[in-house]
Amino acid sequence: MNFTWSDAAYFGPEAVMGLTFLLCVLGDLVTRGRRHVVPFGTLLVGTAISLVLALLHPPVSSHAILGQMVVVDGFAHFFRLLFLGITFVTALLSWSSREIMGRDREHQGEFYALAAMLCFGMMVMAESADIVMLALSLEAVSITSYILAGFARFSFRSSEAALKYVLWGAVSSAVMLYGLSLFYGLTGATSYEGIRAGLSGGQGGMALLVAILFVMAGIGYKISAVPFHFWTPDVYEGAPAPVAAIFASGPKIAGFALMIRFFYVALVQDDSQGTLALLDDVQWPWVLAIISAATMTLGNMAAIRQNSVRRLLAYSSIAHVGYMLMGFVVLSANGLAAVLFYLFVYAIMTIGAFLVVVALNNRVSGEEIDDYAGLGFREPLVAAMMFLFLISLTGLPPTAGFIGKFYLFAAAGEAGLWWLAILGVLNSVVSLYYYMRIARAMYFTPPELSGRVGLAQAHLILLVVLAVPTLVLGVFWSPLKEFADQSLRMLLGGG
Amino acid sequence: MLELADGGSSSLLTWMTFFPLLGAVVISLLPSRNQNLHRWTALGFSLVPLVLAVKLFMVFDRSTSDVQLWTQVDWIRTFHIQYFVGVDGISVTMVLLTALLCAVCVVASWGIQRATKGYFALFLLLETGMMGVFVSLDFFLFYVFWEVMLLPMYFLIGVWGGPRKEYAAIKFFLYTLAGSVLMLLVMIALYFNVNDPSTGGHTFNMLHMMAQANHGEWLLDPTIRHILFLGLFIGFAIKVPIVPFHTWLPDAHVEAPTAVSVILAGVLLKMGTYGILRICYPILPDAAAWFAYPLAILGAVNIIYGAMCAMAQTDMKKLVAYSSVSHMGYVLLGMAVFNEAGITGAVLQMFNHGTITAMLFLMVGVIYDRAHHREINGFGGLGTSMPKYTTVFSLALFAALGLPGLSGFVGEALVFVGAFEVYRVVTIVSVLGIILGAAYVLWMLQRVFLGPLNEKYADTPDINRRELITVLPIAALVIFLGVFPPPIINMIKVSLLNLIAQIPG
Amino acid sequence: MPDLQSLGDNLQVGLEHYLTLSVMLFSIGTLGVIFRRNVLVMFMSVELMLTSVNISLVAFSRYLDDLNGHVLVLFVLAVAAAEAGVGLAILVEIFKKRDTVDVDEFRQLME
Repeated sequence: MNFTWSDAAYFGPEAVMGLTFLLCVLGDLVTRGRRHVVPFGTLLVGTAISLVLALLHPPVSSHAILGQMVVVDGFAHFFRLLFLGITFVTALLSWSSREIMGRDREHQGEFYALAAMLCFGMMVMAESADIVMLALSLEAVSITSYILAGFARFSFRSSEAALKYVLWGAVSSAVMLYGLSLFYGLTGATSYEGIRAGLSGGQGGMALLVAILFVMAGIGYKISAVPFHFWTPDVYEGAPAPVAAIFASGPKIAGFALMIRFFYVALVQDDSQGTLALLDDVQWPWVLAIISAATMTLGNMAAIRQNSVRRLLAYSSIAHVGYMLMGFVVLSANGLAAVLFYLFVYAIMTIGAFLVVVALNNRVSGEEIDDYAGLGFREPLVAAMMFLFLISLTGLPPTAGFIGKFYLFAAAGEAGLWWLAILGVLNSVVSLYYYMRIARAMYFTPPELSGRVGLAQAHLILLVVLAVPTLVLGVFWSPLKEFADQSLRMLLGGG
Repeated sequence: MLELADGGSSSLLTWMTFFPLLGAVVISLLPSRNQNLHRWTALGFSLVPLVLAVKLFMVFDRSTSDVQLWTQVDWIRTFHIQYFVGVDGISVTMVLLTALLCAVCVVASWGIQRATKGYFALFLLLETGMMGVFVSLDFFLFYVFWEVMLLPMYFLIGVWGGPRKEYAAIKFFLYTLAGSVLMLLVMIALYFNVNDPSTGGHTFNMLHMMAQANHGEWLLDPTIRHILFLGLFIGFAIKVPIVPFHTWLPDAHVEAPTAVSVILAGVLLKMGTYGILRICYPILPDAAAWFAYPLAILGAVNIIYGAMCAMAQTDMKKLVAYSSVSHMGYVLLGMAVFNEAGITGAVLQMFNHGTITAMLFLMVGVIYDRAHHREINGFGGLGTSMPKYTTVFSLALFAALGLPGLSGFVGEALVFVGAFEVYRVVTIVSVLGIILGAAYVLWMLQRVFLGPLNEKYADTPDINRRELITVLPIAALVIFLGVFPPPIINMIKVSLLNLIAQIPG
Repeated sequence: MPDLQSLGDNLQVGLEHYLTLSVMLFSIGTLGVIFRRNVLVMFMSVELMLTSVNISLVAFSRYLDDLNGHVLVLFVLAVAAAEAGVGLAILVEIFKKRDTVDVDEFRQLME
């Protein structure tokens, strides 16, 4: 395990984010927590520098660094850009949010330090190639998330959400660690490549099944797949809305990145024709296909009954995990490309929808669907963009969400998983109903109050910034699809 | 087999499709206070496609079944998606109908007071969606237009509709989406199992899908072909709507504002039958032959059930809505027999029903604007107080019941002539629909316009000039095509003969 | 008088025994989390689960004669401590407001 300075060149964006975290903490300390603009600015500058570094040096080949624990390849690059983008947008979104920055709040500066740490952890999650790094990056993200969930310390709801999150999070990571220890015991290796080498020889049997199921449980918790989803609505509702926006996008996507790399490097092999095959008899894709079906169905069914917009979005985010798992279980490069494409699009539209919640929270007291009555006439622009995000989440053209779902269904169809694809499209129809409940409130119900709601300028700009790609990627999406395809080439081709 | 006409490339259809979209953008940028500005802008942008439609009518070559006036551009190369539009005899009539009814409906929407900006912008967006469906020859493009059209329709019903608008709007949306997602899956299945002969890759090109030689091995299994046919058929059947998928229709038609009802009945319903003719039949002709008898029975059920429901209505608009169900049954019956008379009659009926039902809805809208209700029993003797209105409405009603000399008769007669050769019993049962149709039409005519004058409506103003402008062009068309149908029949004939030639048995 | 020395020589404590202990601890921890309603006890149960992970890791590491397992153990210890730290901090916050550590009392976030 040698560290060479040349590694640093590959680890640049991560190193910058790590440094940003330290500088944010330091800045907050130096200004005695009074000038929040210092950590906020540090985070923005750090993220921007990291983004520039990542864009300047896109990896041309798969490169293992830090004692083979971290792999920097196209896959890592894809998620780097995504996480940095998410961090940048959510930082801006939080800055104008009353829930984070209001006068009665405390330690606002620390929020940005935590955001930096979260971004760092998520980037490493997508890059880790060793179960030690897997466990560490996952915990870095989890522990930061626990603190963020309880960030509104004075609010009992926030604390309660944080407690539920930390308690069940600790249980799930213990379960996953146990599974990882079994992998180690079965193969004698901690690196994904080593695990694959160890497994390709013989039969893992029962122990391997248990190991895979336990690891699935841990990751399933992170991405909130049924039956490990129960914390999601509570945490999204209790935590401050900007934090919910982060949770719905960042850690969930990082969980997917981690899962893809772990399962596809450690448990899947390329045969000579370039098709992917299982290493062992353990049919984990079937287990995940059933989880996928259960996740989308339960997520949608529960969402129908919600009256709170935030809980509705929480359940909808669960349902979307189900759709994405559909692309994960088909064991094909097309399926994974569909997942990557969808993750990107999902991040945009989910943050967009939560951003509307954040923006309105500053002004409107309630978060019930009825509180959005008449928004279409009071704030036509905001309502129109919310509607755009909603139809994108439903998966209707001409939005990016439709293209994402189209690729997922196509991947399932190509693999012959028609039952899952049929379930998926039927779920889309169900989801239309509850998304349109919000649209109905916004447009069909007359407003109780008249006049503008008056939203923060920054939120309006951000909304437009998110709405434009939602629409544009629905009409012309080649670049993103090619980027996703390309990102996977090193991951799947290298093994 | 459908082929591209040599040298037939043209941007005419692209202009017809996207000019309204441009109009929608322009209107949404206008100041919201000036309602007349919205109206006139919308009229301007909907007249352009109408003018282009006239040009289309002139330049369309009636002697070939090839695709004309096409445009083919790569859209997303990695997934073989193209921007591919063009018309043949089947689609050209629908394009003309859409352009005509949209322009008429903008005028018919003059009375909309609430949020005119949004209304007209959405209306033009709807026109783009409908046009796009009829001209697309790439399945993916077709699907995108098919879905895009749902969004404005949802709002047009939900915001500007009647008392139960919310229910009607979401019901329409859910039903149609449920159908179209089935279509999406079939589209994906076809994509992966049809080869592009020029590149060897997969394709969404409908012309390639229609060429049976391009079908892959998986697609040759009859069971799979039947399942795929059913998937597509249900998607289209919901739109037609074919009983038992029709329950969204009365709600949507009744709650929608007048102009939107016209578009719903006049154009949207045709999309279902058009989709069957454009996609189901040529791509899976053997499955079409296999399902022919059930289709004919469904047609008969639609005719009889629709007519019986219409008889039971006391609300004029609902009556007209159910009459649409009945009339679409004729279309379905004609399509189920693969002979010249039947299928020509079906497409002719699609066009004629579009114009006739448009008149009916416009006329119901006129009286509703004045009386603010549509109860058939609430009127009486309007013939004396509103003579001009009575004349026009009666014309529309007679056309609807299929009076010879008016356009409705020609299509129905051809359908029966064609169907009688093939399915005697079904046809004889269906003819009862004509009698039922006469019953509900005459019954309504009598109660609304004849008898003693209801004093409440003695002073109701007669139909005004703007309303006449909307309805007279259509009325002229109904009379003209009733006396002399060849202009339409000549357009569709060659393409339809080509279509039925591919269907085995 | 049995020869304790030879008995000890015959009774080998091998990998299976460590793994059995680990599974038992893990099960006890899991049951504790599921059935106890006191948050503190639940956290302790989680610690038990993590301990079982450590035992199996160390046993595997020793058995495989490989150091990587020990490395992971050290990290797991640190992570467990950090998790407990955050968890207890949040619990203190809640206790200040509600005077209870019973999870059944925390039901504000329900539908």
